[in-house]
Amino acid sequence: MSEQIIPQPKVKAKSITLSTAVLLILPLIVLGGVIALFLSTGGGLKLTSPIPVEALTVERTILKPGSVDLIIRNAGPEDLTIAQVVINDAVWPMTVSPAQTIPRLRSATVHLDYPWAEGEAYGITIFTTNAIAFAADIPAAVATPQPTGRTFWSFTLIGLYVGVIPIYLGLFWFPALRQLGRRWMTFLLAITAGLLVFLGIDTLTEALEQAQLVPGPIQGIGLVGIGAVATFFLLDAISKRRTTIGKSEASQRLSLAYMIATGIGLHNLGEGLAIGAAFNVGEISLGAFLVVGFILQNITEGLGIIAPVLRDRPGIRQLALMGLVGGGPAILGAWIGGFVPSATLAVVFLAVGTGAVFEVVYEIAKLLHKDTTREPMPLTVFSGIVAGMMLLWVTGLMIK
Amino acid sequence: MAIKLSRRDFLKSGALTLMGTLGAAALGHFTQSAAGASPQPMSHAGQTGHTGRDPMAMAVGEVDHERNGFNPTDILTDFDYGAVSTLPSGQTLREYQWIAANKTIEVVPGIEFPAWTYNGRIPGPTLRCTEGDRIRVNFTNGSDHPHTVHFHGVHPAEMDGVPGEGPGLIQPGESFSYEFDADPFGVHLYHCHASPLARHIAKGLYGAFIVDPKEGRPKVDHEFVMVMNGLDVDFDDVNDFYAVNGIPFHYQNHPIPIRVGETVRIYLINILEFDLINSFHLHANFFHYYPTGTSLTPSEYTDTVMQTQAQRGILEFSYKHPGRYMFHAHNTEFAELGWTGHFEVSL
Repeated sequence: MSEQIIPQPKVKAKSITLSTAVLLILPLIVLGGVIALFLSTGGGLKLTSPIPVEALTVERTILKPGSVDLIIRNAGPEDLTIAQVVINDAVWPMTVSPAQTIPRLRSATVHLDYPWAEGEAYGITIFTTNAIAFAADIPAAVATPQPTGRTFWSFTLIGLYVGVIPIYLGLFWFPALRQLGRRWMTFLLAITAGLLVFLGIDTLTEALEQAQLVPGPIQGIGLVGIGAVATFFLLDAISKRRTTIGKSEASQRLSLAYMIATGIGLHNLGEGLAIGAAFNVGEISLGAFLVVGFILQNITEGLGIIAPVLRDRPGIRQLALMGLVGGGPAILGAWIGGFVPSATLAVVFLAVGTGAVFEVVYEIAKLLHKDTTREPMPLTVFSGIVAGMMLLWVTGLMIK
Repeated sequence: MAIKLSRRDFLKSGALTLMGTLGAAALGHFTQSAAGASPQPMSHAGQTGHTGRDPMAMAVGEVDHERNGFNPTDILTDFDYGAVSTLPSGQTLREYQWIAANKTIEVVPGIEFPAWTYNGRIPGPTLRCTEGDRIRVNFTNGSDHPHTVHFHGVHPAEMDGVPGEGPGLIQPGESFSYEFDADPFGVHLYHCHASPLARHIAKGLYGAFIVDPKEGRPKVDHEFVMVMNGLDVDFDDVNDFYAVNGIPFHYQNHPIPIRVGETVRIYLINILEFDLINSFHLHANFFHYYPTGTSLTPSEYTDTVMQTQAQRGILEFSYKHPGRYMFHAHNTEFAELGWTGHFEVSL
C-alpha cells in the first residue's frame, strides 16, 4: 500500500503551564458542585421508585449428590434479600451464604439439600422479599465435575479432540499442497479468508448471545465491543510494527500464519469454554458421529493456518508450534468452562476471538491484494472465499 | 444459566459423548464418598425440628404472626357469633362490624404480600350462626378500591353483594349493611365480588360462613375451620404458594394437637383461585363427609375429598392411634408448595 506522506507543520510541544492546569480542572470543580447540589436537593425530581427494581443473575449451578448450589449475583440497583426457594413445585429448605441479603453486584450461594435424580430436569424459582421471582433451569441434572485429576484429564482430552487433533490433521496436507501452483495457493488463501469470516461471524454471534446472560451493570454488549475492537487494533499494530521493521516477505508470511493460528486459537478457546460450560449445566446429548463431524469441520482450520506459508519451508517445529497455538487454547477453554464457567469471562474471550479472527481476515486480504496485483485473478479470490464459507456451512449442516 | 449455542451445538454434543463417561465416573465417585459421610442434618433450615433428618418441602423461617395481626392456629377455632340481640319478632339478630382494608401481610416467611382483607386477616372472620338467625353485616370499605361482600346462601338480590344489584360496589369510604336470614344450614363462604373477580379473591377477600342447623350438630370434642387458599405473590395469575387459613406450611410447623378417640369436625372450604380443583387428604385415617354440610347424614366414608372453587363440606373423624399424621392437598404440587399440615395425636 502506498500512502503519500503529507508534510505537517511542526507544532511545538508546549509544557502545561499553571493557568492551563487551572483551566483544565475548573470544569471538574463546577461538575462536582452540580453533583453535590443534585444529591442534596434531588434537582426537583422524585427519585425514589414506588416499585422495587430488582435483578438477579444465576451464574452457576453446582450439583453434587443430594445437593444443589446456585451461585447468584445481585445485578440490581439496591440490596436484595432472598426469602424462599421453590424447586420443581416444592418450597425447599435452603441456606444462603454469606447472608440472605446480597449487596449490589455481590454474589452469594444458595444451598439446597435436595435429592435430585440424574438426567432429570429441574426448575428453580428464587423469591426475594419483594415477592419478585427469578428462575433458574437445570435442563438435565448431572453431577458438576469437580477439579480432580481425572476430570482435569477428561477436559484435556476434550480440548485435544476439539482443537489440537483436527488442526494437526489439517497440517498434514502441507507436503501435498506445497506442490500446487501460485494460483492454487491464492485460492487456498482465499478459502482461509472465507473460513475465518464464517468463524468470525459465528464467534461474534456467540459473544452477543452470551452478553445477554451477563448481569446488566456489567454491560455485556459493551464488553463485546471493547474486546473485539481492542483486539483487532492491537493485532493490527503488532503486524504493522513487524512490517515496518522490514523483514523478508517470507518471514512476514510466517508471522501471518502465526496470526491465523492465534485467531483460530482464540476462537477455539471460546469453543472449549462453551463445551465445558455446556457439560456443566448438564446439556447432554450423545452421539459418537458428532465427534467425527466435529473433527471434519475443524480440520479446515489447520488448512487455513498453513495456507500463507505453502511457498516457504517452515520446519516441523514451526508447524508443530502453529498447531499448538491454534488448537491448544481449546483445552484451556474446556478447563475454564468446565470448572469456573462465567458468562462474563465467556463474553470477554469470545469478543477477543472475534477481534482476532477479523484482524487475521484483514491481514489475509492484504496478502491477497499483494498476490492479485502481481497477477489479477478475481474469480479465484471470489470462489475461494465463498468456498471457505460454504465449507463450514455444509459441514455444519451435516452434523446439526 | 441457559446457554445458547449455535455452531457449538454439535461441538458440545460431540464432546459430551466423551463427557458422558466422565460424568458417570464422577457421579460414581461422589456417591461413594457421600456414602461415607453422614447425611447433612436439616436443622439449619429453621422450623424443621419435627421433620428430623428426612428432606421434605418446607419454607425457611416463620412469619411474624404478631405483625400480621392474626395466627392460623387461632383461626382454626375462631368462630365469630357476632353481637347477639333479639328482634321484636323474637328472631335472633347477629350483628357484625366488618371493614375492608389494604394490608401488607407476610404470607410466606420473608415475603410481604400487599393483601386486601376483611378485618385485617386472611381468611376473613368466620361468621357463625344458626339457621333462621337474622344476619346484619355492617360493612365499611376502608380500602382504596371498591369492594363488596357476596355471601353464598339464600337471600334477596339486593343483598347479593355483586356489581349493579342493590348497593352494587361499595366505594372507598362508603358503608353498607348486608342483612338477610341465615339459610340454609351448612358450611358456606363469602367473598368480594368486585371485578376483576379473580384478583379480588386472590388478594385475600374471602372467609367462612357457617350456619348451624336449629337442632345443632352432634357434639364433638374439636371443631376446626379450614379455608384452602392460594397465594399469587408476583401477580402473574399463577399461584406461587398454597395454604389452609392463609399461611403456607403453618400446621406443618405447628401441628394441631388432638387426643386418641377425640371426635373432630372440620369445616372445609375451597376458595383457591387460578387452579381448577383442590383437595383434602387425611393420613392413616378415614372421615365421614357431608357435602356443603346441608345434610346431617354423611354421603361418603373416605380419606380424600376433592373440591372446586367455592365447594365445601364437613369432615368428621377420630384417631385410633397416637402419633403425628399429615393432612394435605392430594394435588401433591399444592402440598409441597405449602398446603400441608399435621395432627399431633396424643394418648
